[in-house]
Amino acid sequence: MAENSEKNVMEETSSTYGATGDGIDLSLLKDSLSMTPWERMQANDDALNFADSLREAMEKRNAKLK
Amino acid sequence: MQNLSELTRRLIASQVEFVLVGGFAAAAHGVTLITRDVDICCRFSEPNLMRIQKAFADLHPVHRPRTDLPLELTPQQCASLKNLYLKTDLGAVDCLGEVLGIGNFDEVLKNSVELRLPCGSCRIISIDALIRAKEAMNRNHDWITVHHLKEIKKQQSQN
Repeated sequence: MAENSEKNVMEETSSTYGATGDGIDLSLLKDSLSMTPWERMQANDDALNFADSLREAMEKRNAKLK
Repeated sequence: MQNLSELTRRLIASQVEFVLVGGFAAAAHGVTLITRDVDICCRFSEPNLMRIQKAFADLHPVHRPRTDLPLELTPQQCASLKNLYLKTDLGAVDCLGEVLGIGNFDEVLKNSVELRLPCGSCRIISIDALIRAKEAMNRNHDWITVHHLKEIKKQQSQN
């Protein structure tokens, strides 16, 4: 019974949050579609700046290691 | 600090005649891939190009292929430009006279929809036209965007 329940949960979560055949994360896509276009544009800015800050931190770290 | 949303807001505030295209348009439609620039298709008339220049005047705009050249458009330059690739303090802006797979500005405008933002309204290339444009570009990352856009269409038709 417990095994079946666990199996159901796994099936449910994988169908809801799983990737499509093209490898698209549906949960991320659904989150994005729940936002307004302006919120999506600002989310892109936030992600872009976060990625840049990570890159900068890595460059500093690599420079120290040299 | 990159702020592509602010660059878009400035284009709207300066009444630039443009259509949002490319990766940032894809993001506005819901695509979760990150893009590093604002791509617009715009009318390459002198008044419109001057409006673009004015919109970014205090952001130290330079020509991206030649960053030693500040953006100081002359009527002669405006008459000969086909595209304009800019770098500003808030990020890169590509101004295109036409979009592969769609056509010139008037064709892109026909294939656009209204995008209402808190800072005003502008035009954005439709999902269908963006799919056609990305398919025509035919680069690896364009195809990933096409898959996202098709999935968005599917999700929207289910709701």
